[in-house]
Amino acid sequence: MTFTWKIGGEAGFGIMTTGLLFSKIASRLGYYILDYVEYPSLIRGGHNAYEVCVSDREVTALKKEIDVLVCLNEETFHKHKNRLTSQSLVLYDKEEFDFTDNFNKVNVPLKKILTDLKGQAVMKNTIALGASLSILGGKIEVLLDLIAEQFKKKGDEIVRFNQQFAIAGYEEVKKNYSASIKNFLIEKEEKKEKLVVSGNEAFSLGAVFADCRLYAAYPMTPSSSVLHTLASWQEKTGMIVRHSEDEIAVINTALGASFAGVRAAVGTSGGGFSLMVESLSFAGVAEIPVVVFLAQRPGPATGMPTWTEQGDLLFAIFSGHGEFPKIVLAPGDQKEMIDLTLKAFNLADIYQTPVIVVSDMYLSEGHKSVERDWVDKIVREYQIRRGKINLSQKENPQKLEIFLRYKITEDGISEKILPGTAGYFYQENSYEHLEDGHTTEEAKPRKDQVEKRLRKWQTYLKNDFQSPKFYGNENAGVIFISWGSTKGIVLEAQKRLKEKGIETGFYHFNHIYPLDKEIVSQFLKKNNKRYLLVENNALGQFGKILAMEAGLDFGEKILRYDGRPITVEQILEKI
Amino acid sequence: MASIQDFSGYQPTWCPGCGDWGIGMAIKKALVELNYSPDQVAVVFGIGCSGNMNDFLNAYALHSLHGRAIPNAIGIKLANHKLPVIAVVGDGDCYGEGGNHFIHACRGNHDITVIVHDNGVYGLTTGQVAPTANKGFKSKSTPAGIVEVPINPLSLALVNGASFVAQGFAGDLNHLISLIKTGICHQGFSLINVLQPCVTFNKINTYQYYLQRVYKLDESYKKDDFKLALEKALQINEEKFPLGVIYEKKSLSYHQQLPQLKDNQSLIDKERFIEYDKLISGFI
Repeated sequence: MTFTWKIGGEAGFGIMTTGLLFSKIASRLGYYILDYVEYPSLIRGGHNAYEVCVSDREVTALKKEIDVLVCLNEETFHKHKNRLTSQSLVLYDKEEFDFTDNFNKVNVPLKKILTDLKGQAVMKNTIALGASLSILGGKIEVLLDLIAEQFKKKGDEIVRFNQQFAIAGYEEVKKNYSASIKNFLIEKEEKKEKLVVSGNEAFSLGAVFADCRLYAAYPMTPSSSVLHTLASWQEKTGMIVRHSEDEIAVINTALGASFAGVRAAVGTSGGGFSLMVESLSFAGVAEIPVVVFLAQRPGPATGMPTWTEQGDLLFAIFSGHGEFPKIVLAPGDQKEMIDLTLKAFNLADIYQTPVIVVSDMYLSEGHKSVERDWVDKIVREYQIRRGKINLSQKENPQKLEIFLRYKITEDGISEKILPGTAGYFYQENSYEHLEDGHTTEEAKPRKDQVEKRLRKWQTYLKNDFQSPKFYGNENAGVIFISWGSTKGIVLEAQKRLKEKGIETGFYHFNHIYPLDKEIVSQFLKKNNKRYLLVENNALGQFGKILAMEAGLDFGEKILRYDGRPITVEQILEKI
Repeated sequence: MASIQDFSGYQPTWCPGCGDWGIGMAIKKALVELNYSPDQVAVVFGIGCSGNMNDFLNAYALHSLHGRAIPNAIGIKLANHKLPVIAVVGDGDCYGEGGNHFIHACRGNHDITVIVHDNGVYGLTTGQVAPTANKGFKSKSTPAGIVEVPINPLSLALVNGASFVAQGFAGDLNHLISLIKTGICHQGFSLINVLQPCVTFNKINTYQYYLQRVYKLDESYKKDDFKLALEKALQINEEKFPLGVIYEKKSLSYHQQLPQLKDNQSLIDKERFIEYDKLISGFI
């Protein structure tokens, strides 16, 4: 059983908090969730909506039909009724508006309850949550617990005051609609403890697990909640979280901290990343590790700030002037976000170069269930690998000595000791330099250093590159290719096609760049198979990378660039 | 104890007579007199003739991009606040390209010492006008004379909350050494704006020009009087240049106000945080 619950209302009235509460309720009752938010780039007056897809199995994509639509205003009904079916329930307040369409009505006097209980406007949401739980057959205690946790610092009275709105909504439905109650949210007997995490929260967790000690950012949707999350934890974790004056300061603060020896990261979206790229090139030549979290939104320029797109892939891969190695990773879901963030910090240190973790609004702001025991395991097994960054005090030389920070090596990676190490000194340099860091314009050392830096890519491909993951049937005639956040949508499309008797295969890339030419062209051989490229952009950007790196050109593309995530149906139509 | 020789890297490539020689020597002498050796200090350089000091001064150094030395210096200080951190920058570098960083570093009272080579021109790119040049200054990029009025670095720093603002002159080495020493020892953000004639590209702001217009603040000058400091700073607008510590205020620096660093252990020396359950419980 899989169903979608969706709530909508005016921006500024707590839709986001309410949606997340619903996700947590479903999770605590033993279900898996995937959720998605829609909101305009303004604080008041627009339309906000939040949908949660709930199932007893892992949910990897949103569902077309809405099973329960909670309308806190009339606009919600009109905006989303095209996704309702004759089976759908519409929870609304008749006093606010009414409709004649043939959907199942659940009329809850939100306004009246609110007035009777002397509540504030946002508490309408709590009534609606109680009513939702009631009509879905869930138990109210889970919601009451969540309210208690949310308000416990404010005292029992405030907790009870808030809880009464949930109870009122719950009882109202039970009283008037007992015949319509569904069994969608009956508490599961066997439950696995699960986290409800967004992509941004997954990155934040990964950064803490990886012992990142400085995170700098300038607010920019959809990356900002990483800044908020890490900042809210900083007194616990000891991480320094800095909101600098602009993105140029952001990345340079991180580079300074990394130069001094701590793991450092920055987060932004396309516009902010544009401001950072000169410094990314600096990190490349000076060989300073840094992790860049790039949460894409539709551009160009200010674009559509609160919507989704995979439009910055080529920009990320080619960011920064000059030729230097960088590594680009793109997680497919929240689990991969934790996993790849942990790897990103290791790779940045091992290769002493920038590592970009690419997300997008759909992955960054949507929540998904992640099993607790999976998280515990990955944390337990994680090993911090700092490569040739020597944290211990090196043995003192006889007299003060210049350290060869950029010593030519076979793998391209040079030892780094920490600034402050007694007996030595060195400089890291944005100019081309000699092995000892001094500036040079001589031809030979220039050539040697360029080659040394670029050898890091070869070492990475040999030691740390991971091939695309394959899902489905290897003998299938239809093969999907995608990267990053489209993973779950393609997986769901594969499932549906299989139900119809159509076998498919799917290569999903999350180690995006550099690519191992040999491996990639071996996977994607020219043969009679039908290859379909799935990307949330207009140009098929990853397809261009495959063409460039492995000479593969795919004629068939499933693309979307209207700010919305690709849908399962969009893929099914093509097959 | 380290010597001037220990701090000396390559032979400088500055033009003979350039004010940068004086600043370079003053920095080395100040560090020696403060008992530091090259393995105990972090220096960030911007890009310009000033930044070229990277090859002439031995230290744990970061030769940054044009304009970005200040945020790099802030990052180093946050990661390891036990290291003294100095930013050696130029006027175009710090007040032009990196102007935003400069303003916000003053506000933040980050414990770094910013030594600005103020010569009114971009020396390394052959003499275009810098933000500190007088109105009407003619250069390759402003053949008819610059339209803008000059930046006043001292008042800019003061009104944005800098807790230490000083001005030195590359032609007065001993005085400059003492200013740099005081600046490094100051807790919080310190600006030392150094008037530094560019003998090749600036034929207006010469040694003679400055010698006629600089004067030293005397012993009785009250360094903690903000209004008086502002008054002194504004004298620059009339081409009168006070030398000395214009303003000094005792206040907590940025890192001292971070709860994460309350135990005075530097970020890099702290134990790794592993109580993940405290975070994970929030997602259940």
